[in-house]
Amino acid sequence: LCSLLPQAFSASQWSAGDGGDTDGTFECNICLDTAKDAVISLCGHLFCWPCLHQWLETRPNRQVCPVCKAGISRDKVIPLYGRGSFGFGDGGFQMSFGIGAFPFGFIATAFNMNEGRDAPAAAGTQQQTDEQFLSRLFFYVALFLMLWLFIA
Amino acid sequence: MLCGATMASMQKRLQKELLALQRDPPPGMKVDEKSIQASLTQWIVDMEGASGTLYEGERFQLLFKFSSRYPFDSPEVVFIGDNIPVHPHVYSNGHICLSILTEDWSPALSVQSVCLSIVSMLSSCKDKKRPPDNALYVRTCDKNPKKTKWWYHDDNC
Repeated sequence: LCSLLPQAFSASQWSAGDGGDTDGTFECNICLDTAKDAVISLCGHLFCWPCLHQWLETRPNRQVCPVCKAGISRDKVIPLYGRGSFGFGDGGFQMSFGIGAFPFGFIATAFNMNEGRDAPAAAGTQQQTDEQFLSRLFFYVALFLMLWLFIA
Repeated sequence: MLCGATMASMQKRLQKELLALQRDPPPGMKVDEKSIQASLTQWIVDMEGASGTLYEGERFQLLFKFSSRYPFDSPEVVFIGDNIPVHPHVYSNGHICLSILTEDWSPALSVQSVCLSIVSMLSSCKDKKRPPDNALYVRTCDKNPKKTKWWYHDDNC
């Protein structure tokens, strides 16, 4: 609390940090700071999602836009993703997506080898033995990776 | 921990509002900087009655009190000092019957917009008189006007 004391009265210090000189276009209508995890209501008003969420929790029976009082609901707000932001919480979501997507990727290749491709090569040819060898090799590699994942 | 976080966001927002009011105050309005403590939870705003209205030339003082839940929670706003405006929505103890101060509050409102609403409420007055239930209300009400169950009706006074 006390650490905020010196800032409270010095206007110059304020405008230096924090982008105090912006014109307010991209500031949240609730915290007046640059919108973080920005969402926009159908009536076009910008908020931080945590700020708007807290307001909707405060007045559960009267869900209206804080700016224009138009009806608003949590599933009808549009998230805004600028360049470099992947989704809510930025880094956090990307991380879990990466880990979650990996096993699905290789299960698909292991079990759908022939889907949407040329017909298998005729039996007995050099190509067929090569393909069988490759598919077995990939299968064992996949099996090994899967076991490794489970053990790790 | 949570309390600390809300406190910080409330102070951050109040600092922004204070800065904006100091830089670019609306006509006739001035934040009394001496009245503001470190925590920013209490401000006094000096204001003048708008010219061309029944309150022209009068000076008033508004006391704002902010809870740690501001701006989700409305500020407590009363007139203080020796000149409480005589108005059908202002009680002689300084309490103001104005819907944006309770049920119509929105976190997009600010100290500045509340002050402007109060000036405009005074400016539209055509007959300077106290609310009809002033004597009873002042005797029986809570010190905090937010505890009053207000009855909002017309606004054509």
